[in-house]
Amino acid sequence: MKVKTSAVKTLLEVRDLEVSFQGVKTVTALSGVSFSIGESETLALVGETGCGKSVVAHVIMRLLPPESRVKGTVELGGKTLLELSEKEMAKIRGREIAIIFQNPSLALNPVYSIGHQLAEPLRVHRKEGKKEALLKAVSTLKNMGFANVGECINYYPSWCSGGMNQRFLIAASTVLSPLLLIADEPSKGLDRKCVAELEVELKKLKVERKTALLLISHDLGFVRRLADRIAVMYAGEIVEISDSSSLFESPLHPYTRGLLNSLPEKGFIPIPGFSPPLSSPPSGCKFHPRCPFREKRCTEKHPELKEIGRMSVRCFLCP
Amino acid sequence: MSLRAASLSKSYGTGLLSSGKCIFRRISLEISPGKTFGLMGPSGEGKSTLGRVIAGLEKPTAGTVYYKGSPLSGMKKTDYTAFRRRVQIMFQDPADAFNPAKKIGYSVSEVLTLLRVPKIKQASKTEEMLISTGLPEEVLSRYPSQLSGGQLQRLALGRILLLDPEYIVLDEPTSALDVSVQARILHMLKIVQAERNIGYLLISHDKAVIRFMSDSYGELENGQLKIID
Amino acid sequence: MKEACAERGPEKQLIQLETPGLSLPRERSFRSFQKQENFLGKFNQGGILLLAFFLFMALFPSLLAPYAPDERFIPYEAPSREHILGTNDIGNDILSELVYGARISMTVGFAAALISTLIGTILGLCAGYFRGALDELLMGFTDVVLIIPKIPLIIVLGAFLRPSIWVLIPVLGFMSWESTARVTRSKTLQLREAGYVKSALCMGFSPSHIMVSDIFPNIVHILLPKFMLATASAMISEASLSFLGLSDISMKSWGSMLSFAFFRGGFIREMWWWYLPPGICITLCVMAIALIGFGLETKGEKYAGEGADKA
Repeated sequence: MKVKTSAVKTLLEVRDLEVSFQGVKTVTALSGVSFSIGESETLALVGETGCGKSVVAHVIMRLLPPESRVKGTVELGGKTLLELSEKEMAKIRGREIAIIFQNPSLALNPVYSIGHQLAEPLRVHRKEGKKEALLKAVSTLKNMGFANVGECINYYPSWCSGGMNQRFLIAASTVLSPLLLIADEPSKGLDRKCVAELEVELKKLKVERKTALLLISHDLGFVRRLADRIAVMYAGEIVEISDSSSLFESPLHPYTRGLLNSLPEKGFIPIPGFSPPLSSPPSGCKFHPRCPFREKRCTEKHPELKEIGRMSVRCFLCP
Repeated sequence: MSLRAASLSKSYGTGLLSSGKCIFRRISLEISPGKTFGLMGPSGEGKSTLGRVIAGLEKPTAGTVYYKGSPLSGMKKTDYTAFRRRVQIMFQDPADAFNPAKKIGYSVSEVLTLLRVPKIKQASKTEEMLISTGLPEEVLSRYPSQLSGGQLQRLALGRILLLDPEYIVLDEPTSALDVSVQARILHMLKIVQAERNIGYLLISHDKAVIRFMSDSYGELENGQLKIID
Repeated sequence: MKEACAERGPEKQLIQLETPGLSLPRERSFRSFQKQENFLGKFNQGGILLLAFFLFMALFPSLLAPYAPDERFIPYEAPSREHILGTNDIGNDILSELVYGARISMTVGFAAALISTLIGTILGLCAGYFRGALDELLMGFTDVVLIIPKIPLIIVLGAFLRPSIWVLIPVLGFMSWESTARVTRSKTLQLREAGYVKSALCMGFSPSHIMVSDIFPNIVHILLPKFMLATASAMISEASLSFLGLSDISMKSWGSMLSFAFFRGGFIREMWWWYLPPGICITLCVMAIALIGFGLETKGEKYAGEGADKA
């Protein structure tokens, strides 16, 4: 099902994405996921660990393990990503779509200096020489506001804090000015100060470079200030998409309401029950065992994503 | 009857040639039974080290930790055994709290054997623990790598509670967890505290968590503790 | 309610070389480059088969050897239908000698390796766990032992004690535990910082319990390959010493066969059927053990990659 954005041109379109993993039991990680991101728009994908948000990022970048089976379409500016050959996909990775993962210290190679790793995308994709690439890396860092850039270039990842490494990673990923940046749980494991710095960095990307952003996180609070629209995921499905102010003021889906209640500002009220195992999801609405408003039809039929104005909800109780 | 730290200082690398790096200097604080003392401060400032010193896992360079009035260094063997049992610590990384090579059931029964619980009673005690932490029985036959962070953290707490502690040092218990799981763990901690009158030393960089849980708290900055409230 | 462990699959960052799959039009699957893994696997399997053969030779020699090793026939005979590898200077059938020799060579190899691995593990565990003065003492002791030259020591001992494998095995065992000790110590140092070790300390478990129950199971995957390689090295040392004549005369190993072949005129008379087979057997057996050790090492790396590094 297509979700309408406003008059902005669509950059990334995901339709009816279904991903399953073969193994002892077949696990359906994603079912019927559809969303779109406009140019320069920031979409946040929010949900608990295990709901499948990282799988979405991996599908778009085509980084899934061999046991995966994918159905659906992913289009970037008209190109169908899932049907490209590996060679063509490798050209797109880094240049048109970039991705940063959680735990920046692990994503950076410990034996190469920061300067070397920043210059690498330039050398590989644009085939620039070592010196020019390094100079460009220096100027990128300067633009990001690092004070002593000359020293930073020669630092190794293990010498710097997690927050600094995350910023270096963002610099390395955006040095080629990609159209879309996917950030997979960038704030996990960082303390408040680093998270604040990260927010500033991502905001700069949004405003100055006009990069579209797919922000994946479990933390609604972090996402609040950055996202234009928020999609809430539960057990492999999207249960609500809305623009960020409406989501926080009047959340529609009971799960979204529960997530907002567990925020510190609302008193850390937990959602009762546990998220269901992906190998044996509950019948009907996947959230019904934990929903305080459930009715009989919620246990029997599976709700579809309904559009209500500019928002979409997957719930029988939402008019 | 409290756990008290008096003028604790800790430095690394002191020797003939250098004065070493001072982590913290002359810290004094007190944890009362049934109450929570929050320790705040940015990462890497030494809060975890202070937690470990108070839990008796590391020795301070200067100062003493008092348990029930007697100092830790030079305690008699029987007193020390009691201290070792009654003061526990819960770590930040839930996956690290259990031996990856052992099944959960085995890790739990190990503790029960240490406590000299007869084999017949071990099954019922394990069941009690599972009920109080809200976990299904099949986690016992799983390896730590097969469980989620929230489940492991609850199991870690359950295992600590088997020892019937009086004080628990909580070292960033929810930093590695999702926001929604964090809410559940914090609630569980509060319920357990009310039921068993346990004193907590809560270490966190998150102000909101500290404010929610603590009766009084302090901020560790530049090696000095500023007590607020 | 179960949390499916497959859930964790997609969360890991796997970057593999992919070739587009060739299945149904709408469903896509991507294969990955797994050839490298199978390559190693074949060598590993070869090693196991070869070693199994030698073990069989050692355990049931009477099934393979045509005669008893001390039965005498016409000496210095060339290979013929009755004696496939001919006979040696006393008249024993060389093939039977070869088969029975497997027992001696492999016993010395495995026994010496067992002693060396045991000592190395215990010392390494204690040094790594307790640190401080004990660590310094043990590592200093290890350094001293490293300096002592093995073979000259055995030669000297051979002058005073009657050469027998019961002297050979302890000496070989006691002289080769240094690297095991160092590896065990460094892994213990790393593991003792893990959360579960600190938790165990906090709960009041004794140091010996922690070392045996918590730390040891997580280093076994390193010790197994080291044990295999120590066996291989002990077998070669034993062969060298036997060649020098420091072995037990009553128990003929492959090395002794080589020694007799050399000293009793086998080389001069170009009796290749006497000196080649034992040499080939030693080579093949050592190679089989080394392959298995190598295979275990790489498998161990894959398994340990996730656990201990997250400390």
